Formats: sequence, structure tokens, C-alpha cells
Amino acid sequence: MATPGFAGKILLVNLTTKEIRALDTEPYEAYGGGHGAATALFWEYCVAPGEWDLQDAFDPRNMVSLMTGAVSGTGIPAAARTSVSGLSPQCYPIQWFCHSNFGGTFSMMLKMAGWDGVAVIGKADSPVYINIVDDKVTLEDAKSLWGLNTWECQQEIWKRSGVRYGEEWQQLDSGYTLQRPAIVTMGPAGESMTRVASLVHGGGSGAGQGGFGAVFGAKNLKAVAVVGSKGIKIADPKGLRDTREWWDKNWPRFGGFGGFGGGQTIATCCAGCGVPRMCRNRNRTFSLDSDDCAESTWYTLIDHKVPTEVNQRGTDICQQLGLNAMETCFMGPMSFDTSHNKDFTIQPRVPAYTALGWYMKTMYDMKVIGPGTKHDISPLPMDAYKSREFMEIYGFALANRVGIGNLLAEGTARFAEKLGRTDDFNTLCRLTMWGYQDHWSMPGVEWAYGNLMDSRDINNHDMSLGRKRNWTCENFVKVLAERTKANEPFWFDYSWNNEQAYKTGIYSKHKAEFVAWRQHYWNYYKESVGFCDWGYAQLFSQGHPEGKGYTPEAEPRFLNAITGRKHTFEDGIEIGRRSWNLKRAIFVMQGRHKKMENFTGYYYRPGASYCGFAPELPIFDGSKWEWQNCKELYLTREGVDQWKTHFYNVEGWDPNSGYPKRKTLEDLGMKYVADFLQSKNKLGSA
Amino acid sequence: MAKNKKPMPAKADKKEFSRRAFVVGSGTALAGGAVAVLSSGATGAAAVAAEKNPYAPSTMYLVYDSRHCAGCYGCMLACSLVHEGETNLSLSRIQIHRAVLNIYPSDIKINVCRQCPDPLCVRYCPTGAAHVSAESGNVRVIDAPKCIGCRTCIEYCPHIPHRPIWNPTTKKSTKCDMCVDTPYYNKKGGPGGSQACVEVCLANALKIVAELPSQTDISGYDRNLQPPPKAKPPLGASPGAKPETTPPAKAEPKR
Repeated sequence: MATPGFAGKILLVNLTTKEIRALDTEPYEAYGGGHGAATALFWEYCVAPGEWDLQDAFDPRNMVSLMTGAVSGTGIPAAARTSVSGLSPQCYPIQWFCHSNFGGTFSMMLKMAGWDGVAVIGKADSPVYINIVDDKVTLEDAKSLWGLNTWECQQEIWKRSGVRYGEEWQQLDSGYTLQRPAIVTMGPAGESMTRVASLVHGGGSGAGQGGFGAVFGAKNLKAVAVVGSKGIKIADPKGLRDTREWWDKNWPRFGGFGGFGGGQTIATCCAGCGVPRMCRNRNRTFSLDSDDCAESTWYTLIDHKVPTEVNQRGTDICQQLGLNAMETCFMGPMSFDTSHNKDFTIQPRVPAYTALGWYMKTMYDMKVIGPGTKHDISPLPMDAYKSREFMEIYGFALANRVGIGNLLAEGTARFAEKLGRTDDFNTLCRLTMWGYQDHWSMPGVEWAYGNLMDSRDINNHDMSLGRKRNWTCENFVKVLAERTKANEPFWFDYSWNNEQAYKTGIYSKHKAEFVAWRQHYWNYYKESVGFCDWGYAQLFSQGHPEGKGYTPEAEPRFLNAITGRKHTFEDGIEIGRRSWNLKRAIFVMQGRHKKMENFTGYYYRPGASYCGFAPELPIFDGSKWEWQNCKELYLTREGVDQWKTHFYNVEGWDPNSGYPKRKTLEDLGMKYVADFLQSKNKLGSA
Repeated sequence: MAKNKKPMPAKADKKEFSRRAFVVGSGTALAGGAVAVLSSGATGAAAVAAEKNPYAPSTMYLVYDSRHCAGCYGCMLACSLVHEGETNLSLSRIQIHRAVLNIYPSDIKINVCRQCPDPLCVRYCPTGAAHVSAESGNVRVIDAPKCIGCRTCIEYCPHIPHRPIWNPTTKKSTKCDMCVDTPYYNKKGGPGGSQACVEVCLANALKIVAELPSQTDISGYDRNLQPPPKAKPPLGASPGAKPETTPPAKAEPKR
């Protein structure tokens, strides 16, 4: 019998053999479900057989997984993510095992059909989509869906059923439903195996990072559609309801994202959330839901705070084509308020953002591409830059690999490489490790360190560390330290340009411990359980009389009410540590080594901290805490080397190689991983 | 894709009138051979209810604001949680349908039990399981032990989609009872109590009202439930000018 909160089985589809199997979820619960389960499945089906080198995300042997968590579909706020995992074609230079996630209703519907996740291997010989109706799973012909954009594809699948959704009750195997299938699909960008192709569900719930739309494309998998009529068992329904009420009472309306849409929009939400954060919008003009955040920045040459027809149309195009908005947009130094950065020049300052669109335009302006060069810019009408026409042609060319679009479709890092300009990573281009555009990784260095140790932009939104009104720095840090349950204030010391940086600041063991804690938290509570990055973790709450965020109480209270377990917060951190170490082992098998875990050059230069937001961070000067403006924070190579040594030691990894040690893995119940790494001479020295 | 294998209702042979003839929204209803004309106003409808049928009007109605609903399904998940002990869209007595690729405001439809003045689910229930609960504010409810699973209440619900829900596990019908019978809820529901759907709605898009809503069309139930916008300073006012508001009434002296 399945653990409450879990459906009890995972769908495994081999597109090559057309085999469809149900796996028992229970063995994968030890990894947390969600991304943790996906990591364990990847190890089992892709790494352990030892049949390939794990280098090519487009290899049919790559497994792409869509996984739910224990909280999905249980009606609690900020808990509706579907985690997507697999080798990432976007990661650079190695296509690391990576993950992304998307919101909406897919995770809820998948569980209500009786599945905790879908894992797909192989490659179909012609386009298909996976159709899930309760327990019944079929591979459907998708030849007529090929070429459709993400919205058209969903509408066509709905139309095929002939059901009048919302008006007539459909009888499924387990009951009746009024609902239409939840569908996740890729658009033309995925079909063209564009390395910056996203997966899109609904209007614009997207999994952008990693380029998993392209993995769908490589597998000839157009979409996964699911509708279910089952329930999700809850161990303590009254307790869950009471916990929600406790949460509502103590942290009412946990703040608004604000949105880019101004007064034109009304919140729409992921399943069970209902928190009117405006992180998703229903637009009163002409766009659909989820028109906020990343996609709304896609064509931000015109002030993105004003919903003009052009940039709203850009939002739609980005969603329809299935493009990763953050990576392919035009954000550069001119996109946001640059009042703090007026002295921007290519050298020595670092621009705020350098997304693909901006980098392309910069290359054009520098005459690296375009007329008179060996790189034809067509079909882009550069004389119409900033127009709707340009935007539409850019999207079309990129998503379909037309003309210069074929180079752009490789993503910013590979585009630069093909131009012979990898030096730009250290100068012009604000790309973090692994080919991702920088987000706001500095001066909150745990974001940068997390990116370095993981394989993606870790989206560290939850660690909001800027000065808090009416709070002394010391008291603020005390609250943070208490809420992590580690009670270590120095985790939050951002001393950076003196000896204190090595003692208690950004190069210290304390910062290594904090980054490790955060990675373990993220791997379990967010990527595996399914809590949303916009909601969790919350260590500090300005609205709470004592400043307390709902972390670390909300997570185990919600989870225990759902599952019936008696887990502590620390139990969850430990599960996260297990899946994090398993992921580390996958990285190691792909070639990860201490030597390659280095920041790109700009991190070591003034201007590394693009900081339009919350530049004031806690600093301990050896005797007292105070807020200091850290917008000039940058790193030193010596300091980062020290931090890495601390980090590997904290994690139980070999400080010389970064490989996990046997004891570390065995303590986590993963002797089989230690044995495997040893057989490949990739086990850390004791 | 699943086909509509067994559309409900399934007992057409028992129909005494064409369901399609019962046109909610047109103002005309044919029921049991009697002609009931539903006027456009609540008062008129209430009067008809009092004259033409023996059922006391409910004292509570669930109304909604589809334009401010965030489409999170939280109400549905809460409904099934407190009634059934699990989250289950199919067993929720309030049904939200979200067509995410439709343009606002047609992207969200909300279907609630209207607590009809003349509840056909009650009228045609052969066992009295569906009844007007005098002890619970005349809310129309289904008494599970008496339900024989004949689906007549589903058959005769005049609304599309029908509001009573079929539970394939218990093989009984259920319907919105204003949380009168909620075994998995630590609160008292029904009149004067809490309703789980209303409680969880962070968009303030659900509300319980006492007055019978207009039965003419859905506008009686689908209302603007948002507070009036804050008063704005008059045009041309200097920065910092206070908005024009009605002076507050003098507080009554303390007794």
C-alpha cells in the first residue's frame, strides 16, 4: 500500500521498445520522491548499467523524468511543482545531469491519475505523445501535432477527445471528472532540438533550465497528457487542514511578487496555491495565464514594466515557441534601472545581464556577425531592431534553427564558442558556470557557490538577505540562524575583503556549511517534495512579530500530516543530502572534478555583484554585526580555493578531487554507489 | 483520450419532463407538470418557491466571483479533504473548470450547488436521502445511509454540469451540504459555521450569503465580491492630499 501523499507507482516508458511499465514508488521514497527519485532512477537505468559515457543529452539512453512530490495536489500553498530531470543539452561544456521544474496543475493531475512520476527513455521512431488516463497509458501518434506550437498542441489534444470539458462528466476508469487533461509539451524549439528549448504546460508554466524541450524533441516525444479521477490519500486530513490554518494565520498572504503587468492582470495560480502573489497572471487584454516573471522579460527592449502590445506579444511568442525566456531574452545592461551602474562599459565593469538576444546584438554592433563577416545575420532584420517584426523573426529563427538562428539555438555559451570568443566568458559575457546566464548570484554568494557545485542556476530567491526595516543586523542574523536550526550566525556573514572573510565570512567553513545546508534543503524540500521556490524556504518574515519565517516548522508539519510520518526538519535535510550525494556521483561519472569547479572570470573582478536589489548584507567585523553595502563584492581565487576545500570536507568529499568518500556514501545507505565509483576509480580517498 | 463511456444521468426512463425543457436562465421551468415561472428577482423567486413548492428556502447560498478566482482548485481540494479525507477533484462538491488557453474571463468557470428553491434532487429522491435539512438551515443535503445509489438526484439536477457528485467507491451520491457533515474537519460547518472552500480561498472569490440569489441566470451567484477600490485623490489635488471620503459617523458613546 502506498504511503499517503504518494500515488504508489511511477510510470516508466521506453519509447524505443514501446514498453510501458509501472514501478513501485516505495524504494524511491528514501530519496525524497520528485527529483530525488528521478536521480535514483537515472542512476539505476543510465549510470549503473555502465553502457555509455553520459555525455550526450540527445542520446536515446538519456532518461527524462517528470516527477511529483508528496505535497503535489494536496491543496497546500506553493506546492505544485513538477520536477524535470535528465542530462541537459544546455549545460556547457559538459551536458550535466540537471533539473528544472514547472508549476500549474500537471503534478496534481498526474497524482490523481495514480502516478508519482513519468520516466522516459529511448526514442520513438516517429512522433508520439504519452496519453495517461488514470491507469491506462498509451502512446499516441503525434505526427499531426509536430510543428504545432505549445498552445496549438494542447488545444489539438483536447479537441481529439471530443469531450466538452467543464460541461459533461467523463467517466474514466476510477471515476468521473469534469477536468481536461493537463498537458506538458514542447514547441518548435524542442522539435529543432534547440538547446534552450523549454517544456510548457498551460499558457506558460514552463520548465526552462536545462533545455529539456530539446530532449523531448530528440526522443520524438511531443507531449505528455494526463487526466485522472482518483484521490490522493492524506494520513491526517484534519491535521493538514489545521496546519494550513496555522500557516494562514501566522503568515497571511506571504507577500506579493508585484508582477510586471501593472494593473492589467489578476493572479492565477498553480494547483492548491491560491496565494495571490501575481507570479502568474490572467491578463485582461490579450494574453493568457502565466504571463509574468521570466517570459514577460523576453522582449524587454521596451520598458518591461509597462505591458505594451509588443512585449506582451513577446511573452506569448516565447511561450508558444517553447523557448527558455531567461536565456534567450534581450536583457542586458539597458534592461533594468542602471542608475547604480552608469559607468558601464565593456571593461572593466561587468554588465548586469547578458542574455542571448543581447549578446547577439552586441556581437552585431561589434561587427563580429553580420555584413562583412563570415556569419550571416539573416533572417534577422537588424534595421527593425526593437520592433515587433524583429521580435517575431528572432523567435522564429531561433526556434527553427533558420539562418543565424542555427548558431543561436546552441545557447549563449556554444554560440560564443562557435564565434571563437570563449574569452567573452571572462570579460563581456555574464555567464555563470555551466553556460547559464547569471541571475542575481552575487553578492549573495551562496547563490554563486550553489551554481558552481550544482549544474544550473539554483534560483536562490528564497534567501532574501537585504536590510530589513526596524531590524538590527545582529537580531536579523539571529533569527536566520535559529530558523535553519543550526544556530550558526556566521553562516550569514558576508565579510569579503579582509581577513574576516576567511574566519567567518564568505571563504570560511561557515559559508561552506550554509551552502551545503541550502543544497540539501533544496534537493529535498523543493525539488523532491515539490515546494515552490517562491514560497520556500522562508527563514525571515517581516510580517511576523518575531521575524520568524515559516521554515523550519511548516515543511515537516505539512509533510507529516500528509504522509503520516514523524519526520523532523533535519530528517528532510538528511534525505536531501542523500540525493545530493547521489547526484554528485552522477556528476563524477560524467567527469566532474575539483579542477573544473571554477567560477568564470568576472566573479573575480570589480562589478561581479550586479546588485540592483538588496545590496546591504550582514557583516561581522570581528566584534559586531552591521549592515554594509556589498554591491562591490567580488571574489578572489585564493579565497574560493579555500572555500572549496571547506565545502568538500563538509560534504565528506575528497578535497583533492571532489569525489565522494566511501564513508559518506555508506552512511547515507548508498554502499552500492561507493562500490560502483570505486570500480571506476572515482571514489574519493578516505 | 477517454470517451464519455457512461454519461450521467443514466436513468432517462424515469424522466417526467425533458431536462432540456428546464431552461435555467430563460426564466421558465417545467417541473412535474406544474409551470413555475421564475421571476428575475430574488423576491419573486422566493415568492414562487413559497407558493409552488413545499420546500423551505435555504438560509445559506454559496456565491462566487469567477473574475477574481485564481483557478487554484484550492476550494475543490479542501472540499474533498474535509468530506472524504482525501484530495480528489472528482469528489469535490464545488467544481472549478479551468480552460487555461481561453482568454480572460472565459478561462475559468465555477459550478456550485445553487441550493435551489425547488430542489429537484430532493423532490425526486425515492428514499428521502436527499432532503431539506430543517436542523441545518434548510440546506439541501443527502443523507448517505439512506442513499441507495440510484442517481436520481444526479438525473434531475437541472444544471449543466450536474451538481450532485457520484462517488464510485461508496456508490452513493453526494452534494454540497455547506459543510454540515464533514468528518475530516475540526470545525462546525453549516449555518453559523465554517465552510472549507470559503476558508481556503485566498482570492476572496467565495462567500456565503443568506439571501436567495436571483435564479434568472448565473449572475445571482457569479458576483463581484471584491471590496470597492480605495478612494483616489481628486484630479488636480496636491500631492499628499487626502482622498475624498464620507466623514465617519460619530461613534456612539460608550455605555
